Amino acid sequence: MQLHLDGSNSIMAPSESVYSLLTDAAFLATTLPDAEDVHVLDKTSLEATIKVRVAVVSSKLRIKMAVTATQPPTNASLAVTGTGSGSNMQISSSFELSGSSPTTMKWMADADITGVMAGLGSTLLKGFASKKVAEIFEGITKAIEERAK
Amino acid sequence: MEALFDASVQEVSRLLGLTDAEKSVLEDADAAASELVTSEFESYVQRKYNDQVPVILRRHNLMGVPIASKYGGRGARQLVQALFMERMGQVGMGVVTFADVHQCLGSLVIQDWGNEEQRSRYLPRAATGDVVLAYGLTEPEAGSDPGSLKTTFVRDGSSYRLTGSKYLISNGSVATNMIVFAYPAEGGKGPSAFVVDTKQKGFEVDMRLEEKVGLFTSDTSLLSLTDLAVPKEDLLGVEGKGFSVAYSALLNGRIGIGSGCVGVMEDCLNQVRERATSRVQHGKPIGKHQLIQKQVAFIESSLESCRWLVYRAALKKDEYEKDISNLALRGEADRLSAVAKYMSSRSAFESADRALQIFGGFGYSIMSPVAKHFLDTRVARIYEGTDEIMELKIASSVLGREFEAYR
Ligand SMILES: Cc1cc2nc3c(=O)[nH]c(=O)nc-3n(C[C@H](O)[C@H](O)[C@H](O)COP(=O)(O)OP(=O)(O)OC[C@H]3O[C@@H](n4cnc5c(N)ncnc54)[C@H](O)[C@@H]3O)c2cc1C
Repeated sequence: MQLHLDGSNSIMAPSESVYSLLTDAAFLATTLPDAEDVHVLDKTSLEATIKVRVAVVSSKLRIKMAVTATQPPTNASLAVTGTGSGSNMQISSSFELSGSSPTTMKWMADADITGVMAGLGSTLLKGFASKKVAEIFEGITKAIEERAK
Repeated sequence: MEALFDASVQEVSRLLGLTDAEKSVLEDADAAASELVTSEFESYVQRKYNDQVPVILRRHNLMGVPIASKYGGRGARQLVQALFMERMGQVGMGVVTFADVHQCLGSLVIQDWGNEEQRSRYLPRAATGDVVLAYGLTEPEAGSDPGSLKTTFVRDGSSYRLTGSKYLISNGSVATNMIVFAYPAEGGKGPSAFVVDTKQKGFEVDMRLEEKVGLFTSDTSLLSLTDLAVPKEDLLGVEGKGFSVAYSALLNGRIGIGSGCVGVMEDCLNQVRERATSRVQHGKPIGKHQLIQKQVAFIESSLESCRWLVYRAALKKDEYEKDISNLALRGEADRLSAVAKYMSSRSAFESADRALQIFGGFGYSIMSPVAKHFLDTRVARIYEGTDEIMELKIASSVLGREFEAYR
């Protein structure tokens, strides 16, 4: 089952620091909501267990996240793979920065989900994923703005 | 816009014409439906009333879709109301039930039967959502046969006093006002219709009926009225003519329910398309197995046959609205609304069942969106006239009034 999400966020920080933080696994590790057992593997990749909640049912996914391509100072791609609770997912996402203080971050993500979670269908998953993604980007935005102060 | 809904809107626009204002109602409906998806599913899983429905409809200015613009509503004709309900049906029958009762059984009845003072008092607030309406016909001892209602009224100076019990009332415990039907205690004439204030002394929510087979996200209540004072200004229509009010409400409501069921079939089709093309068994997507295609073909054919049936009923109602003294037109609208509701509710239920089958074991999980439709849609074959009552009504419309079997 395929899912596409996109959006944009405005971050009150210079674009160079936004870019370097968004491609820094150690920084991203601090912004993951509901994450346990986080291991930063190297400068551009990490592993973690995250809790995914759909309605009242929550399941745990072991994810691996890696910065796969960079085109500084504006573009980068990230790949996330996740397994757990009978589900598998592969997400490829990318972002593009423009402007500076505020920096506009345009992002998009394409997910391929199989197993139990796929049964929920894209209409429903999109609703829940949009909320979760908004929460993640809010966290990232806040953390970058904190650092930039 | 969601693709199947967009296709419906485009087709109706091309063949029948939609104004910009009408298209904007439907764009708002699409945005509201997308926003409703998560709260509706969360409430369903928790088996509780979805209190976000009025909040989100209000945010998109959709509480008063059929209310005339001079009273603050969107002034939608029945055809546009049907399209609106179609999109709500994709989210689920819980949303459809809330909107159908508040708008088709409640607001439209006040608009059609109320005097100018009543319309000005209720409709602007119904359009904003400050007034939420319920419709109280059914009682513990009177369902398919409203002639056996036990709720009564007595005249008391400048008011009426109502006593009785209303059962299985949608929006019953969340409504600010309810259309109530009651017979005169002294006997004689037919029942009368009243707009009752649910905050008045004597109005009691006896029980929220939560142990249902489905439709958890819709409020259903058992209510009691004990010597409830209703000012004379809240008599709706003419005393003794309550059945005319009740049946005209059901005519509107059945088109609404039929349209909601079309939306259910659309969502079932969306869900099975995704599942059948991605789930692999025996080395290929299950959609390549012919017996799965048979189920998909059934859902698609049901959807296509019911969609225009519902629009046709809505168009007939719109035609009647322009010529309200034409009883033959009213009869036609009544017949078509019964046919539309009868066919769509049965087809939606069967489509949900077949969609569940395509999903296999996961389809049987409470977490499956098609299982939600399966549970929620069953009631559409019961409320606002059961399958059997629809069959009797449709048959007598063909055979003649002297064949009305429920008389
Ligand atoms: C979730 C839910 C929400 C509802 N919301 C509302 C609401 O908002 N307002 C409201 O007023 N009501 C509401 N209802 C009530 C609903 O309209 C009635 O349940 C329905 O009209 C059937 O009445 P009954 O349940 O008393 O069944 P009965 O009338 O007792 O019927 C039982 C069975 O007998 C059949 N039957 C009855 N008479 C005949 C006949 N002459 N010939 C052949 N078969 C017959 C029926 O079709 C049915 O199969 C709601 C019901 C439900 C379940």
